[in-house]
Amino acid sequence: MSGDLAARQAELVAALVAGGPLPPGFAPAPVAAARRALLRKRAGDVARHWPLLAAGLGPAWPATFTTWADGRPTNGSLRDGWDLARDLRDRDTLPPLGAEELAEREAASRYDGRRPPRPRRLPALARTGGAVAVQVAGRVRLLRPAPR
Amino acid sequence: MTGPSGVGIGWRPEIAGFVAGLPGLRFVEVVAEAVAPARPLPDGLTELRGRGVDVVPHGVRLSLGGAEPVDPARVAHLAGVAAALDAPLVSEHIAFVRAGGLEAGHLLPLPRSREAVAAVVANVRRTQAELPVPLALEPIAALFDWPDDELDEADFLTEILDATGALLLLDVANVHANARNRGGDPAALLDRLPLERVAYVHVAGGAEHGGFYHDTHTDPVPAAVLDLVRELCAGRRPPALLLERDGHYPPAAELRGELDALAAASGHPVVT
Repeated sequence: MSGDLAARQAELVAALVAGGPLPPGFAPAPVAAARRALLRKRAGDVARHWPLLAAGLGPAWPATFTTWADGRPTNGSLRDGWDLARDLRDRDTLPPLGAEELAEREAASRYDGRRPPRPRRLPALARTGGAVAVQVAGRVRLLRPAPR
Repeated sequence: MTGPSGVGIGWRPEIAGFVAGLPGLRFVEVVAEAVAPARPLPDGLTELRGRGVDVVPHGVRLSLGGAEPVDPARVAHLAGVAAALDAPLVSEHIAFVRAGGLEAGHLLPLPRSREAVAAVVANVRRTQAELPVPLALEPIAALFDWPDDELDEADFLTEILDATGALLLLDVANVHANARNRGGDPAALLDRLPLERVAYVHVAGGAEHGGFYHDTHTDPVPAAVLDLVRELCAGRRPPALLLERDGHYPPAAELRGELDALAAASGHPVVT
């Protein structure tokens, strides 16, 4: 059971954040509790980076986030919130506040879903769920709020 | 070394105004990864430094317990923060936070094995070699154990501290949480730890959730944790104790009450 701490640590992290199998010998219930605690902590971290998205979902935020994030390793709070917001948009379940926050982020930065977002150098217009945001010289303005 | 003294609180931007208004405050802690040493410090921290308040950088992402060597850039950052704050010491955890290219997002426990002791000791030495100040190590709270422990908690921690000469950052709430969730007698564990090496103590709140006690830092400090503080300080009083609060900030009066309770339980002067 010893000799390869690196591999065993990797197995444990995969079980906790990437839907991997429980490594041999661990008690299932406490590890499952730790997995859920990590998801709740992550929900709080992402809410700090995406306050309007979280506020728009209100009491549904923790469950919405943890359902989406379970088994999906983090790419950092900024990208996690971005990926979730796009996912909700594609399923027509993004709340207006979240649509406005996403439109502003999309106008400000270019994000391909695979690498960290990069600030746009040219002026840009972004539309999301009826919200329209514009960015010129790094300044972002919401032109049209999302319909309520 | 003159380390931190008295009752302190974790400095967070959300409560910077509250912290600035504590007249007797002599030390705070700041999350090291939240400070950029090359840029100007947050105003609140500059003011506290100007008042002679010690600011201790507290790292959370170094992964000293990882089987891989610590990232030199993260060590350099921690050293840079210590220098920028003219800190008396820095602290980090006996834990790992990433493996196999995946971030866990929080502190994970190590097996209490010789192999893990060797990994931590090697990483602590790599870190100490670059730091301008002493390093204090904090044992974490965990919900589960590894199946192959060779040592008990006290021996595991003592071996790491002896081999590295590091100081101990004792988290009394973690001691409480581990006893609740993983068994064992918290007072008996305190008796067996090298308390003469304690640089300061962490105290935080938590809550019961799904049959486990969670060290949330977003709930009030339970009476059982204050009882442990009292017990610890009745024996050998640590030079400093710090309240950690990381969210769901209560009204100022409630937070002052928690600091006062900590002062009363420890016998240190009131800071509010």
